[in-house]
Amino acid sequence: MKPGKCFKHAFAMVLHSKLRSWLTIIGIVIGVAAVVAIVSIGEGMQRSLNERLGGLGADIITISPGFSKGSNMVALRGGVHMHGTEGGSGPQATENEAVLTRSDVQVLRGIPDILQIDPNIRGNVEVSYLGKTGTVSITGVDQRVWPRITTSKVKEGRTLDPTDQNVIVIGGRLASSYFGQPIGINKIITIEGSAYRVVGILEDQSNQIYIPIMMAYQILEGKKTDQYDSISVKIREDRLDETIAEIESRLMTSRHLTEKNKDFSVTSSKQLQQTMSETLNSMSAFLIAIAAVSLIVGAVGIANTMFTSVLEKTKQIGIMKAIGARNRDIMLIFLTNSALIGLVGGVLGVIAGIMLSSAMPALMGSLPLGRGGTAISMSSVIMALSVSITVGIAAGLIPAYQASRLKPVDALRYE
Amino acid sequence: MDRSVLKFEDVWKIYGMGEIEVPALKGVSVQINQGDFIAIIGASGSGKSTMMNLIGCLDTPSKGSVYLKSKNISKLGESDLAAFRGKTIGFIFQQYNLIPSMTALENVLLPMEFLEYNSEESLSRANQLLRTVGLADKINNRPGQLSGGQQQRVAIARSLACDPEIILADEPTGSLDSVTGKEVLQILIKLWKEQGKTLIIVTHDINIAKNAETIIELKDGQITSISKLRGKSK
Ligand SMILES: Nc1ncnc2c1ncn2[C@@H]1O[C@H](COP(=O)(O)OP(=O)(O)OP(=O)(O)O)[C@@H](O)[C@H]1O
Ligand SMILES: [Mg+2]
Repeated sequence: MKPGKCFKHAFAMVLHSKLRSWLTIIGIVIGVAAVVAIVSIGEGMQRSLNERLGGLGADIITISPGFSKGSNMVALRGGVHMHGTEGGSGPQATENEAVLTRSDVQVLRGIPDILQIDPNIRGNVEVSYLGKTGTVSITGVDQRVWPRITTSKVKEGRTLDPTDQNVIVIGGRLASSYFGQPIGINKIITIEGSAYRVVGILEDQSNQIYIPIMMAYQILEGKKTDQYDSISVKIREDRLDETIAEIESRLMTSRHLTEKNKDFSVTSSKQLQQTMSETLNSMSAFLIAIAAVSLIVGAVGIANTMFTSVLEKTKQIGIMKAIGARNRDIMLIFLTNSALIGLVGGVLGVIAGIMLSSAMPALMGSLPLGRGGTAISMSSVIMALSVSITVGIAAGLIPAYQASRLKPVDALRYE
Repeated sequence: MDRSVLKFEDVWKIYGMGEIEVPALKGVSVQINQGDFIAIIGASGSGKSTMMNLIGCLDTPSKGSVYLKSKNISKLGESDLAAFRGKTIGFIFQQYNLIPSMTALENVLLPMEFLEYNSEESLSRANQLLRTVGLADKINNRPGQLSGGQQQRVAIARSLACDPEIILADEPTGSLDSVTGKEVLQILIKLWKEQGKTLIIVTHDINIAKNAETIIELKDGQITSISKLRGKSK
């Protein structure tokens, strides 16, 4: 039989057992949809991670007291700063034990590959605007350096400049919605009882306030002048690893520390990006593995349907053989049938997966990486379709072989 | 000149049922020539259908040889046998055995699709065959929408699709009332006369068998008599 005719008969078979075909197809749809959704959400997160952290370039390094990477991850996200510590010791203890000071900045100045140094302090402050009050995080920055180091772009107004005193730059979300009504340029907001003028609004979606570091010392209680919560430095881009090593060894020497009692950490956005995307990758690999299981269940469903169908059509197979069908004709018809079920399941699964993944950002809007949306690549669609056809064929292989091997006499006797 | 289309040489067919062996044919030898009209009769269980399956290459003998057009069917591979069967033999069954999901036309087209005939020629041939059996107005009906006699006529049209030399009919009138049965038989006899086909009918109805040239009688898997009713008188 010619392949075209085979396809015609296989197609007719799918149509003739509509309910059963559809039920089988649903099994595949679920599996494929899950895989497609997870892959595209994963790719979307990866992309948004790259957008957020990739913008930082490979040339920014952050030095912070304590030895925990977690604190920096949160800080880079532009959210609330946490005094991250290793489990066990409280935040207070860490702050007392390890601080970064002017002398550390001096050490950093001695490293030739460091181009800019921006020491920061952070804290949470009470802020009010037009009668409404809230607590937000504030970062004191060296306004001569910060504009050149920060990755946040100014959306409105200007950034801080060296002569600034009682002015602030605020995050996009704080400006647009935090107080119920937008804060514009040159508006005055009250921080811990004193008035500050907004000179710039950032593009990012944070609630951060940036203020010249000298002002921050006045606002934030318990911060001593010349002590910092973190130091950001800009380095020569091509010397990331060497510079990190250099910073670590010089700071350890100056602070009289060894690897064992090291009380600061040096992180770069690039390293962070790598760590996070590794985490993201292993997470989506895990989820895909789970989704793949449901695809396997779908395949078992196809096999089951095909076995039933072969049994039900045994007599017809006998008739076909009596009128000239060869084993491979029968085999091809049944294989095409199961491949078709796989294909239809794949197509619908891809559509469902795309819908599912585009609904995702709305569902997880509060997660920072969820806002990046999803990415559906042509290659993943083609992958999904070829996988589902392959699954269909693989699941139909044994039933189709069984059908093709039926002896005509036996098949004809079957009732 | 060898006019033999079919030859059985000491053919045995033994069905194995677990420990017990059931011999359905015990050393049958017979020769059927081109253009013959043979009726095979016998009591139930005498081995008629078994013999039919061997003639139609649906099964192979346990012992002995079956030659179809001087080819030993035991020596043919599956794929060759299927194609050979499709080309050489047209089957007509007691239960019609049409594909229920296909229309009359599609049922008649099916054998030609398996033998990869040209689509357009197949279509016109199928239409013409259905006209020959008097079903021109029913070509798009499914078997479920046809009477038994009409279904059997579709089956006849289907058996002729690939212009086979032999028509094998196992109890073709067994499921039909006597009037319809007679009509179907007349169609078969007409084909035999006009197209020179070899016609082999299995029946237990002696009145039907009497239409044939030769009656082969089976009993307990053996041929008990071969009686020539009339010579080649066309
Ligand atoms: N597949 C089989 N397995 C075992 N025994 C079988 C098989 N097919 C037929 N037989 C046995 O072989 C013998 C001949 O059977 P066959 O079907 O040829 O009889 P028949 O002459 O066609 O009878 P009927 O007129 O009832 O159709 C019977 O005894 C039957 O039980
Ligand atoms: Mg029988």
